[in-house]
Amino acid sequence: MARAIGLKLFAALAAAIIVLPVIAVIPVAFSAHSYARLPPEAWSLRWWAAFFADPTWFAALIVSLEVAVLSAVACIVLGTSAALGMNRLPPVARKLLAGVFLGPIIAPAIVLAVGLYSLARSVGLVGSLLGLVIAHTMLAMPYAVLNIGVSLAALDPRLALAAAGLGADRWRIFRTITLPLILPGIAGGAVFAFVTSFDEVVLAIFLSGPQVKTLPVRIWEEIRVEYTPVVAVAATIMIVLAITGAALGRLLGRVRQEARA
Amino acid sequence: MSTVSFRGVSKRFGVSEVLQPLDLDIRTGEFVSVLGPSGSGKTTLLNVAAGFLAPTQGKFFVDERDITSLPPRRRNIGMVFQNYALFPHMDVGANVAYGLRVRKISSAEIATRVARALQTVQLEGWESRAIASLSGGQQQRVALARAMVIEPDILLMDEPLGALDRQLRKNVQLEIRRMHLRAPRTTLYVTHDQEEALVMSDRVTVMRSGRIEQIGTAEELYHSPANTFVARFLGESNLIPGEVIDVASGKARLSVPGLERPLVGRAAAGVAKAMKAAAMIRPENIRLRPGGLHGRIVERVFLGEITAMRLVVADGIQLWSRLLGADVPQTETMDVGWRDEDVSILPDEARSK
Amino acid sequence: MTEGMPQKSSDALGAALLLAPALLVIAIAFLAPLARLAALSFSSPQGVLAAYRELLGDEVFWIVLRNTIGLAAIVTIITLTGGFALALALTRLGGGWRLALFAAVVLPLWVSVLVRTFSWMLLLERNGPINEAMVATGVIGQPVQLLFNFTGVTIAMVHVLLPYAVLPIYAALVKIDPALLKASEGLGASFATTFQRVLLPLSARGVATAAAFVFLLSLSFFVTPALLGGANNMTIPMLIDTFVNERLAWPLAGAASMLLLGLVLGCIAVIGRFVPLGGLAEAR
Repeated sequence: MARAIGLKLFAALAAAIIVLPVIAVIPVAFSAHSYARLPPEAWSLRWWAAFFADPTWFAALIVSLEVAVLSAVACIVLGTSAALGMNRLPPVARKLLAGVFLGPIIAPAIVLAVGLYSLARSVGLVGSLLGLVIAHTMLAMPYAVLNIGVSLAALDPRLALAAAGLGADRWRIFRTITLPLILPGIAGGAVFAFVTSFDEVVLAIFLSGPQVKTLPVRIWEEIRVEYTPVVAVAATIMIVLAITGAALGRLLGRVRQEARA
Repeated sequence: MSTVSFRGVSKRFGVSEVLQPLDLDIRTGEFVSVLGPSGSGKTTLLNVAAGFLAPTQGKFFVDERDITSLPPRRRNIGMVFQNYALFPHMDVGANVAYGLRVRKISSAEIATRVARALQTVQLEGWESRAIASLSGGQQQRVALARAMVIEPDILLMDEPLGALDRQLRKNVQLEIRRMHLRAPRTTLYVTHDQEEALVMSDRVTVMRSGRIEQIGTAEELYHSPANTFVARFLGESNLIPGEVIDVASGKARLSVPGLERPLVGRAAAGVAKAMKAAAMIRPENIRLRPGGLHGRIVERVFLGEITAMRLVVADGIQLWSRLLGADVPQTETMDVGWRDEDVSILPDEARSK
Repeated sequence: MTEGMPQKSSDALGAALLLAPALLVIAIAFLAPLARLAALSFSSPQGVLAAYRELLGDEVFWIVLRNTIGLAAIVTIITLTGGFALALALTRLGGGWRLALFAAVVLPLWVSVLVRTFSWMLLLERNGPINEAMVATGVIGQPVQLLFNFTGVTIAMVHVLLPYAVLPIYAALVKIDPALLKASEGLGASFATTFQRVLLPLSARGVATAAAFVFLLSLSFFVTPALLGGANNMTIPMLIDTFVNERLAWPLAGAASMLLLGLVLGCIAVIGRFVPLGGLAEAR
């Protein structure tokens, strides 16, 4: 009995230690002070007003959303195509390719960032939406390939044979059988890619320019020098969007489980 | 409805020859099962017919038209899979309608034909049920309806009853048989279950190691198996090994070590003088005959209306006999005999290999 | 039922076409940048290997390398200890509690590392809540420096990397038959003995995977050390940043990048012999 209580106490404490530092910035976003301090002693919405009044902050949010949406779309289109391609390969080739797709996950972000920066500079893509989208697509696509690959592997190959036997051609089989059944995996991949791009800083720092920079880059620039609670507002927006994404991902995961049952 | 022919069809995967060149002809409206243990190549044969696999050699004909290189979707086949392969994201109606939609048939006609197909499999009005809510037997019937609604030239079934429990399987066997007799459709039915094959088929093809061992009606296979493999695979049999003394006018004499007199029986094809062979006698043909071969009863198995008995006759020769309850002797020994026409002398597969 | 699957020669072509777009992105956004850096590392006007010679001959590089590996090692040890305790608690908690703690462990993975690091900047400040709490409870007499030094970086990195340790260890622990633990405890073994003789050996693979994840990620960490570390805590990723943004020394940046990449790949080659690293992609 005492042990069970001790265990629960430990769990509660551990959960608090893990979660509190993540959400600690949120109260700061609602502080009335002119500097960021924790905990705030007076409350206001002045920093929210300041965030939306400052065109550079708002523009950064929009860029972040644009890059994240475009990367997510690119990830699921390319990822679905790649997963379908891998599915047709013999196991040895599949394993080899899985290793290739693991590359962006293993390589240090700073190395990729510096390399991409050097390359992007020579073709004039620094500070462009396209450069950011390409970089984030590269970074998040392996997860999409993996996620969709898992959905495909769970698909009974006889369903496609059954449809072919009933007269369906390849495109019709894909449209009416394969795609609907791997949709939860694709949606999960999309959510994941969106959040990966939305959260990403290191590549974005190097690929952003004065006109086009993402919200994390704007935060990064601010906190390296003097910062005000408006940074906490930006951070809060990032937390809320990321957690919403996570919840959406879980929801889609549940749909997937039910579809399999 | 159509005739089906495999001519010299073989299939090789790398070095392993899954199908050796074989011929098989199916008549219009005939129900043919392919019976064999796993690895015998029966599923490969079916996949060649469906167009899922291209044969390494040989041709496949439907109605004397060579369709070997036609893709599955152009073949007008109805296929029922072992796990049914129903589309889990569609309801019963959409599953059955799938092949009709592909054929761009008007939705009014689709509805009528789906309803009729479901009626045939006794699932009238089940169109909007979810697949996941159906029992195994119901799913099996939906799969059957989906395959038949497109009016296929041939119906292909790959162990469609494999996932059902024993009692249900027996019911569905008879149901499929009745359905077939009502509206005969050229059918190729793959199974490893001998009872299933015997109950449903017009003819049975027994396969082993990529070869056809024998094709015939259930009666032919049972009473005149081509070799000991078929004899063993279909029903119970006593196989007594020996050496052929001579063959004359369809009869062979077999000398069996330990038996004074040679065994006489109908000679199967390929049986020749001086070769190793086996005499096959079905247990129900080993009858009481006072003064016949003297046997010691070493085991009795009660099977309801009949009792099976294991007898030791002469040195180390064992025979199973099956007698109706009333005929079963209560003694430790019994004298048995058989008629020569109930004996087949078969090439001995086990020993000639 | 492999014999039932279609095998067509057109499949290889189809597969290549389907894979082409994704592989193109990998080629231009992953392989090309790495190749570019490799080329840059050999492009010093002083000679092909001059950048490497300069880097390896500089005492600063070796200090930075020591910092990087030392930080990664200490973060790995602390994270593994905490991660094991958390994973063990997860296996012993009942339904609702387990779910809640699990959510608490996984949730931070969705929040940007930058945001989590910023949070720690606020928490670790001289007048921040952690110093205040420690002064109030008498642990320390007066506020101490927690930011812009090794302590701050370590705390924040352990916090960020904790989930990567918990998940593989938990996955290994749940596979252990609870009957084994009961048996061990029923035989009168103390927790220490059970831990040493049963839990640790049976979860060794999970612990090794966790160690690999955390160590490799630590080596490459940039944002947290850059924001929370001081001038004396420079790591290789920060050094690379300095070469590019302050010294504009591309050959040196290229060389340092290649060395960091080599270090990571070397670790993978060694660790990969013992631990399946394919899971790296699934951890998040």
